[in-house]
Amino acid sequence: MPVRSPSTYDILRDHGVDRRTFLDYCVKLTACMGLTAAATPTVVKALETKPRIPVLWLHGLECTCCSESFIRSAHPIAQDIILNMVSLDYDETLQAAAGEQCEEIRRKVMKDYKGQYLLAVEGNAPTKDGGMYCTVGGNSFLNILKETAVDAKAIVAWGSCASHGCVQNAKPNPTGAEPVKKIITDKPIVNVPGCPPIADVMTGVLANILTFDRLPELDRVGRPTMFYGQRIHDKCYRRPFFDAGQFVETWDDEGARKGWCLYKMGCRGPSTYNSCATMKWNDGVSFPIGSGHGCIGCSEANFWDNGPLYERLSGIPVPGIDSTPDAVGKTLAVITGVGITAHAAYQTIRTKHGPDPKNS
Amino acid sequence: MPTYALKLTPRGARFGHRPVWEIPVRLTHWVTAFAITALFGTGMFISWPVVSSQGEPFQNFLMGRVREVHFICAYFLLFSFILRGYWFFVGNKYSRSGVPLIWRKDWWRALWHQVLEYVATKRGPVTIGHNSLAGLSYFLFVGGLGFLMIGTGFAMYSETNPGGFWDKLFGWVIPLFGGSYRTRLIHHTAAWGFVIFFLFHMYIILFDSVRWHNGLISSIFSGDKFWEDGDLDSDDWVS
Repeated sequence: MPVRSPSTYDILRDHGVDRRTFLDYCVKLTACMGLTAAATPTVVKALETKPRIPVLWLHGLECTCCSESFIRSAHPIAQDIILNMVSLDYDETLQAAAGEQCEEIRRKVMKDYKGQYLLAVEGNAPTKDGGMYCTVGGNSFLNILKETAVDAKAIVAWGSCASHGCVQNAKPNPTGAEPVKKIITDKPIVNVPGCPPIADVMTGVLANILTFDRLPELDRVGRPTMFYGQRIHDKCYRRPFFDAGQFVETWDDEGARKGWCLYKMGCRGPSTYNSCATMKWNDGVSFPIGSGHGCIGCSEANFWDNGPLYERLSGIPVPGIDSTPDAVGKTLAVITGVGITAHAAYQTIRTKHGPDPKNS
Repeated sequence: MPTYALKLTPRGARFGHRPVWEIPVRLTHWVTAFAITALFGTGMFISWPVVSSQGEPFQNFLMGRVREVHFICAYFLLFSFILRGYWFFVGNKYSRSGVPLIWRKDWWRALWHQVLEYVATKRGPVTIGHNSLAGLSYFLFVGGLGFLMIGTGFAMYSETNPGGFWDKLFGWVIPLFGGSYRTRLIHHTAAWGFVIFFLFHMYIILFDSVRWHNGLISSIFSGDKFWEDGDLDSDDWVS
């Protein structure tokens, strides 16, 4: 028999939060989700009436950077999210319980909140050799993921590991690591890529799901458009230098001192969809390009395989050839030229010494 | 057809010249040629801007202008392709000549003869339209490569306006090629295909014109080609 859990407002009241503080919190939350002030009543109503969503947070092949990012969230602070808005019932890293206890909690939530809980997945699952390269509590993560996903309402794939595969999925991918979308195909999945994703993006996605009781609008690869709708390049404060044609050529040149565009240093801003340029990191302090370093494109698929991070467009997509596209192009052009010259020479000699082929 | 200043095909002639390339064919040829040349040059600059402008950014718009030229040429190429694609169906039989209908034996035979002609200087049958080899090369290096460039190019162009017209039309290309970076890489690498094609194209037209004295080069200006008895005309549908 499914259990209905108390709403966020109920919990806050129990914690001694007054109405004024609650409303203040709702206004801030609305702004953080990128909504207009007119949506505030919707948020208030949602937090007052909607039961908290139980969340099972699984950790597969990963480095925990998503969790590290999440607990450093500034608005709304992770504490609020974890304690108030969602009911984070299972998270290997954050929970106090250990061993068989936690697996029991997971199974209990799966039973009690069948079809209601949200499954958050950090990391991905190795699929080779029965998934033996990642085991939790004596079971392979592959099995746990499939088992937990069956009764989930939806899945949130945290970070590039769960969304795209990230480093463990990079060539040659020895453990056969596959992102969540390749393993679970019958559930709605929200991909929140990044290595790690921006903390405020993570909390914003959860807040949005809770408030509107549905998944946010997703783009073609399943990312929430409100945070991944635009490229870093299009919102980068160094964009005027790009358009003007002013580029950093080496890390210590005049352009680097003046803060020119890092395009030629291999910046992946033009091919990366994320909110770094607008929301920034660590409570809005800065982001890589702001610190004078190019974007490495961590929220894009295959970013580990996309050539050296400090080079622009290197490594052509042909297996076994380690070369730049231009080198390959020039080589082919030279080969063609040599072939043409040889043909021309051959034909000239033939025509001079042999019979006219037209009449032969 | 228009009248000619010189009447080079009198009644009962065994050789002469006749209109082959219609105006849209010639027009799209030249628009495509100039557009691709400009696109290659500006594209290489966009990929690696060799010149950096000096002064303050508000005084310069170098990259912006080069990209603008690239995009304008891309539009020319797109509409040139649309017109040529349309003309493939409604033009005369030569506008379809040589297209690789690989299930037809005579297409393969003609291809073999043409290869033989270039390798062994064995004059094969002369086709008034495109021969099989020419048709194959245009199909792959102009049609195929062109559509790849248009697809990836407009997909990247759409990135500045997510959800816009070009995004709806070509946005699906980016996930198909494994992301924005890969799309750039493929667009950039494939551009070299046009260089290879250009070299072959230049050599073949020069070789043909010089070796066989058939005035091939002038046909893309005048639209007329020389013929003599025994030359293969094109099928009504394809040659």
